[in-house]
Amino acid sequence: MLEVLAQGAFAEPMASITLAHYLVLSGAMFVLGLVGFVTRRNLIIMFLCTEMMFQASGLALVAFARYSMNLDGQTFVIFVLTVAAAEAAMGLALVVLLFRKQESLSAEVWNQLKG
Amino acid sequence: MTDKLIYLWPEVTLFITTCLVMVLGLSPQAEVRRLCAWVSAVGLTVAAGLAANGEPDPNALLPNIMPFAKVVIAAVGLLLLMLLAGTVDREYEADIESGKTKFNPLRSNRAEFYSFFLFSLTGLMLCASAESLIWLFLALELTSLPTYIMVIISTRGAKSQEAGVKYFFLGALGAAFFLFGFSLIFGGTGATHFDDIADSIAANGINPILTLGLLISMIGLSFKIAAVPMHFYTADVYQGAASPVSAMLAFVPKTAGFIAIITICAAVGWNYGPNHTSLPEGLRLVLWITAALTMTVGNMLALRQRSVKRILAYSSIAHSGYMLVGVIAGPGPVGGSFTSNGLAAVLFYLLCYGFMNVGTFAVLASLKHADGSEADDIDDIRGLCSTHPLLGWSMVLCALSLLGMPPLLGFVGKLGLFTSAISAGEYAIVIVLGLNSAIAAVYYLRLIVTPYLDKPAEQDVLRVEKVGIITRPMVAVISAASVIGLVLVAQPLIEASSRAGVATRHGDVHAVEQAAALRDDINEPRP
Repeated sequence: MLEVLAQGAFAEPMASITLAHYLVLSGAMFVLGLVGFVTRRNLIIMFLCTEMMFQASGLALVAFARYSMNLDGQTFVIFVLTVAAAEAAMGLALVVLLFRKQESLSAEVWNQLKG
Repeated sequence: MTDKLIYLWPEVTLFITTCLVMVLGLSPQAEVRRLCAWVSAVGLTVAAGLAANGEPDPNALLPNIMPFAKVVIAAVGLLLLMLLAGTVDREYEADIESGKTKFNPLRSNRAEFYSFFLFSLTGLMLCASAESLIWLFLALELTSLPTYIMVIISTRGAKSQEAGVKYFFLGALGAAFFLFGFSLIFGGTGATHFDDIADSIAANGINPILTLGLLISMIGLSFKIAAVPMHFYTADVYQGAASPVSAMLAFVPKTAGFIAIITICAAVGWNYGPNHTSLPEGLRLVLWITAALTMTVGNMLALRQRSVKRILAYSSIAHSGYMLVGVIAGPGPVGGSFTSNGLAAVLFYLLCYGFMNVGTFAVLASLKHADGSEADDIDDIRGLCSTHPLLGWSMVLCALSLLGMPPLLGFVGKLGLFTSAISAGEYAIVIVLGLNSAIAAVYYLRLIVTPYLDKPAEQDVLRVEKVGIITRPMVAVISAASVIGLVLVAQPLIEASSRAGVATRHGDVHAVEQAAALRDDINEPRP
């Protein structure tokens, strides 16, 4: 049943999309997120970049789950979404707190601690 | 799933305590609010008792790790709880008592502070019981998410907010890394349960996707243990957070990271290399480079610090490097003793590190300047042995133990790391470890000589005084007593950690060979 659902459902043009396509997209999202995190200085953008890296993992998990016919991977994605939501709630609360303190969203203003 | 529940009573206890504390801390009566710490202590003690009587799980890859790790976590957790008591809301409570202000639950941080601490410990214990990648990921996140908030609310100053923002953002980056790594491990093996992953690797060997996944998840987990390449945040965060919270950060996420690394390595198996006792070459190489760089970078950067907290932060980085040596050494031959079991050495060292490191931070937490700011500079502990003898000698003993001086606990811990690496034939990393222990002596000697031999600061200089929280000096003294006292009972502890470090799949060398033979059979054309 599962096999039928997995392999039989695509119409002809879609059938050529393989695991590799998903992995390339997921890898690209991950790397873009990483590059964004390293190069951007706006706290919200940096946070969104880490979210993008999370979702890249989610995409890879779904693709692998379907490829290996093991739905554990899809369960994993649900949990990843939940954790990402918790992290987003915390991250945005933190950003609001920091903005009140410094009136700026730049990561550069937080530079007291060094040595 | 429910058959696993009998191993989880310590976590369940801690979780119930957490919920209770969260409610108690918001009570309008001051007496009820003060119960928070006591209820947490009771919960932790019960959890420790349940963990000590916990059964080993015969189906797990590391069957005996759970009881040992959970007892260590609860014991160091109790010490940390004593140290954390009174960190938040002191001035606020004083204001309420003097009638200046009324209790406002929105301004109070006490409930969050204690319950997040317990949440973090719950996550840590769950890491030790993890049986699948999903579980491990959730447990790691449960360990670290509360710590971000604890850093921010630990003081009212801008420094702890800066520490919090750095910790949170790099923490999210680290989480993204190990999550991506986990997803590739799932992809490479088609399984999330560690048992199934081990079976899949035994049957099909290692593939590039799995190797990449292992590599990326190690990078992510190196954030948790504060190892190169994700060590940048450590010094800033430890310095910015209040000393008790820094002590917690040096123990809790590090333990979680090491348990996760050990669990993942156990799933991949110690079946490779010339003696069939090491990790797959790629993973071993990554761990090797990480360990060597982490030790060296940590120790080198510690040399030029003036802030005691930054010295301790870099020392915490270096200690992660030391412990990685034990992971590289692996569990050694089947039925081997403590001296050949690197996992036992790591688990034992986590216990040692917990005590001696909490001790040094407790000394700092017990001192403050006249204006209420935290003691941090190396000058603040000058001549401490003559001005505050108990604190001074605690600092000297704990620093000596961190250095690895022979009769003390740190030496016993480090000995296991050395001998296990030697018996695994990892001579190069042993030399790096030895050299680094010598370099580390330079800055630990500063922490020993400054309180012991130097003259106390002049009266007109900003003098340090004791804070009015009795539990903090107590923690310092208990830790200092433990670095001597635990050596006397080291034998049973070492035996317990040797049992905890047994990996079941390790040693079934033949599984890999049989699988390889089977593959060759299949690939050969049939006549």
